[in-house]
Amino acid sequence: MSADPAATQTAAPAAGEVGLVEPRDFHCRQPFTFDSGQTLPGFTLRYETYGELNATRDNVVLIAHALSGDHHCAGMHAGDRKPGWWNNLIGPGKAVDTHRFFVVCANVLGGCVGSTGPSSPNPETGRPYGLAFPFVTIRDMVRSQKLLLDHLGVASLAAVIGGSMGGMQVLQWGIEYPLFTKRLLAMATTARESAQAIAFNEVGRQAIMQDPAWNAGDYPREGGPRTGLAIARMMAHITYLSDASMDRKFGRRKKDTADRATYNFDVQFEVESYLKHQGQSFINRFDANSYLYITRALDHFDLAAASGSLEQAFAPVQAETLVLGFTSDWLFPPEQNQAVALALLRAGKRASYAELDTDLGHDSFLLESPELYELVRGFLERPEKHVSDFAI
Amino acid sequence: MARTLEKRTVDMRTIGEWVEPGSRVLDLGCGRGLLLDYLVQTKQVSALGVDFDFAKVAECVRRGVNAYQGDLLACMRAFPDRHFDRVICSRTLQELQGDPAAVVREALRVGKSVTVGFVNHAFWKNRVAALLHGRKVRNAVYTTAWHESRPSNPLSILDFEDFSATQGITIARRAHLLGDWHSPCPFAPNLLAGYALYDLKR
Repeated sequence: MSADPAATQTAAPAAGEVGLVEPRDFHCRQPFTFDSGQTLPGFTLRYETYGELNATRDNVVLIAHALSGDHHCAGMHAGDRKPGWWNNLIGPGKAVDTHRFFVVCANVLGGCVGSTGPSSPNPETGRPYGLAFPFVTIRDMVRSQKLLLDHLGVASLAAVIGGSMGGMQVLQWGIEYPLFTKRLLAMATTARESAQAIAFNEVGRQAIMQDPAWNAGDYPREGGPRTGLAIARMMAHITYLSDASMDRKFGRRKKDTADRATYNFDVQFEVESYLKHQGQSFINRFDANSYLYITRALDHFDLAAASGSLEQAFAPVQAETLVLGFTSDWLFPPEQNQAVALALLRAGKRASYAELDTDLGHDSFLLESPELYELVRGFLERPEKHVSDFAI
Repeated sequence: MARTLEKRTVDMRTIGEWVEPGSRVLDLGCGRGLLLDYLVQTKQVSALGVDFDFAKVAECVRRGVNAYQGDLLACMRAFPDRHFDRVICSRTLQELQGDPAAVVREALRVGKSVTVGFVNHAFWKNRVAALLHGRKVRNAVYTTAWHESRPSNPLSILDFEDFSATQGITIARRAHLLGDWHSPCPFAPNLLAGYALYDLKR
């Protein structure tokens, strides 16, 4: 593979947009030991980069994706109609300005969009790993991405940014690599999931595992528990929205085909149709075993338990941290985001907490919001040391 | 506007004189973080501001001042006793929607010292204006008409002295300033002082 990051951009971008991008693969040939003690002889991470690495190799912003996200967070793939999932935030002149920063985003270890995961072929059998794949933790995701950044010659991270599971990785980066990581921006996240969040993950896992096609994780690449995975996604998707946003988007509107009240169980309400579509499009891009592994990683993440207390967990952190919560997020609610910022502050760290008043639920971090953009830009672009003039 | 800015810096300097270099400071109602930015740069304090307003907290973040968006009491309750060397409550008490006494008590719990600064509502010009015009006071400090204003809870120097006495709060220092918010007020502060600063201990 090429280590030349600029080569990722294959065409002159339109003003304000990253333009056409292509993913690359990083093949780590060294054995990797997971937190579980299980090992892999090596692994692959698929990633994208935008912008240029500077001479001192320290203008790097790492984007950490959420459960169902991937490395394609900005720009367009040739032939696609939609840009990457955080394209509104990342690009030339945008809040994460690719004129200024070299942005890196990798599909997580255990994922299914090009990085090594349970659907990858097990070299010992030639078949997908399935449940033979090692259990993955948030820390494993972070450690594997550090190897990618070392490979790219990154000297230090100007910032790590992520929402939801991405926010967990952000916090772990600050703990694991304190001198390497200058700023942490965690949104809609938590230092540990509540029972409710674990419960939702478990219902999703049960939907997958109760599907006969799951077959204890042993299924062909193009087959598997498609019904179970679709149901898991439909349910999870509800937890990313809010009552108010669903009511605004769908209300009780019915499909055109269901204008007469019919006494059957076909799709009648628009919200049903929407969720069905979400489920169907998900099974075409996501692997059921990856869903099990990554939700397990979410459930196991518990910084306080790992170190005795959240303050002790944050003791190594050197970075300046910004935590951003959203009022309508009931999956990782404001209180859990506040708890992260307050524990950092109690531990004597530099941390801030901001809260945006939105009604879009957990997915609010993907919101197109000038307030959000200005906050992110303000956090990222201030020089490390600055002096204000107080002579008025 | 220039006059307001001038007053603000006088305020900052007086408050700054009571702040120990390198200490840990909490600013309740920190606004855009001007005071804390000043204290970070002149006294090398480690600073935290609290404000309920997103735009103000975002401005603190832009300046590099740690800020917590939320309720003052809820924020303070998250910290152990005497976590901060000094809690600053500058022109915040009269703006609180809730229970000012609870905020002062909680500030005295989490802070070893508490600075309170407020505009003395009993300042003679306010009295004269009220007497002559019979209207809500409007001047450089009270800039808005009643219908454009947030509910506020103005207090006087006597009010605050009474409050401190009944709550058993020790007043370690006081600074009563004339209408320019700069020159010391030699006597009759409740009538002649425009601005009051108190250094409180439990």
